[in-house]
Amino acid sequence: MISITDHLPILLIAIPILASMLMVFLKGSPVLQKNLNVFIYLCLVIFSIMLLQNVWTGGIMVYEVGEWGKYGIILVADLLSSGMVLLTLIISFLSLIYSLDYIEKRSLNSTYHSLFNLLVAGLNGSFLTGDIFNLFVFFEVLLLSSCGLVIANEKGGVTKTSDKMEATFKYLVLSMLGSIVMLIAVASLYATMGTLNMADIAVKVSAASAAGTLPWHIFAIALLFIVVFGNKAAIFPLHYWLPDVHPTAPSPISAMLSGVLIKIGVYGMLRVFFLIFRDALPMFQPIIILMALATIMIGAVSAVGQTDVKRMLAYSSVGQIGYVFLGIGMGSAVTIAASLVYLVNHAIAKSMLFLTSGNIIHHAGTRDMHKMGGMIKTAPIMASVFLIGAMSISGIPPMGGFIAKFMLFKAGIQEEFYLPVAFALFFAVFTLFYMMRAWMKMFWGTSNDAEAHDDDPSHASSLLMIIPIIILAIFVVVLGLYAEPLLLLAQATSEQIVNPQPYIDAVMTRNVR
Amino acid sequence: MNSTFLSLTIALLFGIGTFLILRRDIVKVIIGLGILSHAVNVLIVSTGIFDGTRVPILPGSHNDAGTTGSVFNDNLAEGILSPVVQAGTHMDYVDPLVQALVLTAIVISLATTAFILILAYRIHEEYGTTDIRELRRLWG
Repeated sequence: MISITDHLPILLIAIPILASMLMVFLKGSPVLQKNLNVFIYLCLVIFSIMLLQNVWTGGIMVYEVGEWGKYGIILVADLLSSGMVLLTLIISFLSLIYSLDYIEKRSLNSTYHSLFNLLVAGLNGSFLTGDIFNLFVFFEVLLLSSCGLVIANEKGGVTKTSDKMEATFKYLVLSMLGSIVMLIAVASLYATMGTLNMADIAVKVSAASAAGTLPWHIFAIALLFIVVFGNKAAIFPLHYWLPDVHPTAPSPISAMLSGVLIKIGVYGMLRVFFLIFRDALPMFQPIIILMALATIMIGAVSAVGQTDVKRMLAYSSVGQIGYVFLGIGMGSAVTIAASLVYLVNHAIAKSMLFLTSGNIIHHAGTRDMHKMGGMIKTAPIMASVFLIGAMSISGIPPMGGFIAKFMLFKAGIQEEFYLPVAFALFFAVFTLFYMMRAWMKMFWGTSNDAEAHDDDPSHASSLLMIIPIIILAIFVVVLGLYAEPLLLLAQATSEQIVNPQPYIDAVMTRNVR
Repeated sequence: MNSTFLSLTIALLFGIGTFLILRRDIVKVIIGLGILSHAVNVLIVSTGIFDGTRVPILPGSHNDAGTTGSVFNDNLAEGILSPVVQAGTHMDYVDPLVQALVLTAIVISLATTAFILILAYRIHEEYGTTDIRELRRLWG
């Protein structure tokens, strides 16, 4: 009897890959394609909830692809992986529903569905894999599919095609350089340690460290990994592609990119530095904290000067990811728990804001905030959900963002990082300023909507576009008012991250059959 | 001796690739990326050459470990970090795993290069130039 719960990790990767092929063949029947894809995503959300529940009750789950024990590719679902998979699938399910009415028919029908499936397969794969080369492969899968999705056309064509080309070119070249750096790091790690399994590398590095024979170039490899994951997460010296790519992508894809894709870098940092290089960690903590603070500063200061609503949200993403990295850099269980709470809150609030901005742009026919105004009368729902998101991002009490910021600063003070916390707190005020200024510019004042757009049916906000936003807004409020389950999960997860022995044991007890 | 030349080749390829991606022409940048990824491929292959103390290849099938004396499971209590082979085992192989890795890396770089070439063609259509300094409509 094959139980479905035993095969959840592979199903979460295999179903999207198979579905992406199926979507190409179903090009002839768009309605079936749409409904089937939505159904598949509903199943995947249910599967990921089952996976998280399984891992919560039954401990870390290891799935061998083949019978080669630690020598083959293994999938490991611990609390961090399964939590990230659940977050990914919730956001991608809602983005998919939103994009059914937002993306242009031809683009949606021909490539969008299959690329979207590949993107989700890449994300799930990178969260679940326990093999560092496999992580690289899934990074490439999600990179190429996200490039294809950035170019997808939305209805109405507010963003010019040439802008999309330019942004994608920057994104692709930088990500290719990032993956070359990652390959160098993985090859050097393999040449040093003789294995690609992350748990196995961790055992060998700590054995070498205990014996005092840790080679010096392990530190160089760790620095290369900072470059790789920093490039994915867009932290300070490597952030400049993000404000070009995230605004030019269609809004549901911006939501995916800002909500989930930059979190891949955070995940990789947590996995690689707290599992493999945990003996070398004290050396890298100041570097991570310094880069996080620079990221916070750059993101906050640049977001203030933006007139384009989506570009402002993208710079805000840069700043917010800095707060997540600040918690990681402080490196104790409480601060990591805080930064995980921050990550979840930012993912949900920012993807909601990007989806809302898609509606606003369609309503106003422009992305320039100076040309908008008075939309509180014509689009009251959008005004209220944008306010909820803006309050959450800037950390005003009833919303989830307040809990996250409060946890982070409290944990930082508890761990006696006074100066970084003071610095971060100062730039949190900037967040409040630019989010509220954007809200007032767009929704208050005199109305100067582009009148012509009201007649054009392609710009109408349909129910399919409003419902996902409202669901995400409910999530934001609920995470603020009833945050205990999330806090509990984050604490358990961060304890697993800080003490990776259960992870190593779960993988290494698999014998070669 | 051999590996000195190999290292020099890898270094030279990295140098050429880095030089090319700093050029202004999009096509040169793409060629530079291709050369860089090949430099990495050679680097990966070169890590598979080693001097015979740790043999990763299983003689026979992987169930034969008991008869050959190879150890594939860790035993941390006794300080054994697998894979371990019998002392004196010598095999004239290079590591086959890195070659599998290189195949994967080559296929991936083929796909990305194909995509970026098409992108370069479309950029040439939209902008009428392949000068990378003209691609600055999004700055600021």
